[in-house]
Amino acid sequence: MPVRLDPRAKLYLLLLSNLTLFLHVSLRAEILLVILLLFLFFLSGKLKSGIRMTIIYSALVGIDFFVIPVAEGLLLNFLSMLSVGIRMMLPCIISGAYAFSTTTVGEMVCGLRKLNVPECIIIPCVTVVRFFPTIAEDYRQIRSAMAFRGIATGNVALLRHPAQSLEYILMPLLMNSNNVAQDLSVAAMTKGISLPGQHTSMIELKMTPFDVLYMLTCTIPFILFLGGVL
Amino acid sequence: MKATNKLTIPDLITIGVFTALYFVLVTIATFGSAFLFPGFNNVVLPAFCALISGCVYMLLAAKLQKFGGISVMGIVMGLFFMTSGHFIISFAGNIVMGIVADLVAKMGNYKSKKGLLASYVLFSYGLFGPVIPMWFMKDAYVANLEARGKDATYIAELFANINMGTFVLAVVLTLICALLGGLFGQKMIKKHFVKAGIV
Repeated sequence: MPVRLDPRAKLYLLLLSNLTLFLHVSLRAEILLVILLLFLFFLSGKLKSGIRMTIIYSALVGIDFFVIPVAEGLLLNFLSMLSVGIRMMLPCIISGAYAFSTTTVGEMVCGLRKLNVPECIIIPCVTVVRFFPTIAEDYRQIRSAMAFRGIATGNVALLRHPAQSLEYILMPLLMNSNNVAQDLSVAAMTKGISLPGQHTSMIELKMTPFDVLYMLTCTIPFILFLGGVL
Repeated sequence: MKATNKLTIPDLITIGVFTALYFVLVTIATFGSAFLFPGFNNVVLPAFCALISGCVYMLLAAKLQKFGGISVMGIVMGLFFMTSGHFIISFAGNIVMGIVADLVAKMGNYKSKKGLLASYVLFSYGLFGPVIPMWFMKDAYVANLEARGKDATYIAELFANINMGTFVLAVVLTLICALLGGLFGQKMIKKHFVKAGIV
């Protein structure tokens, strides 16, 4: 059975990795944290993304150690952007990807409510997540409708008249979003989203000892860095 | 529907829907600028994004016509930036600029064209959050290169194009593009939505 973390624990890991980036934590502490974060992917059964992230991170660290000392000129410029700039972002990206790929919308709502986030932030957040697939679907339909009329049939043709493409794609998208927003509101109101008082939830969230343990373990490299050990 | 000054549930859902669209446009701008201007993508990203997302912003402002919409959009954008691996500063930038832009738009009662344009320009600067690390992390780059045994003058040369000059360039470029994008957005809204009687 795949191990799940509480959404709040995921949020904590996300903040922790942001802090790591913010304070320029040393490479050794960062590697430790990344190993811990990557371990989560494997625990939750996301083998593919786990392996992909591991390869990307180790490649960047590898470049930093072995290629940078011998690189020159423009190549050095490019590679250092890659190995420092991207690498420092990776802990955040890894924890973000983990949080996104393992949290259901219901869990997210429940977690945010437990954190006392105001409803006026939760509802737009949930709508955003819910709406991404709709945008992708709409986009495909708009492009085939355009192709049917012989407008911008390929990706290159889209770039030839950028302003026109923008208008022809964005306007139907906006029109439709406008309608979907109304439909979603009706659906949500029917389900009683605007009722006052405490709402019940299908999902019961509880911080398990494992959550707390993992949060503490992930903090250790950070504390060691602050203490000057790493 | 009865007109209130507070945000209702349908308003919040509308904000969510438009924020999703805005987020997609930001993502497109990110990949687009990385593809078109490799190396300089961080400088042009806010400008590029401001250029293409005027329509979304203007339609949201025209639809809601009340205080809070733009602020909430800024806050939600910030949250999603943070979870998609961006800097914590981007969170703050989006919130602050979102609220400021909202206040400016409110001064024009969400109807004045110039007021909305000004607020859109301000909102676009919220996107500087994810970009600032480029200047901010310069020290980390330099320290890392020194640790790898590179010559100091050589490093200075490398980072000659990441300085205050590029920062000013990014600011000016964003201003111009936000103005253009905002005007384009207003024109489009007038052409497609006002005439159809949607807003």
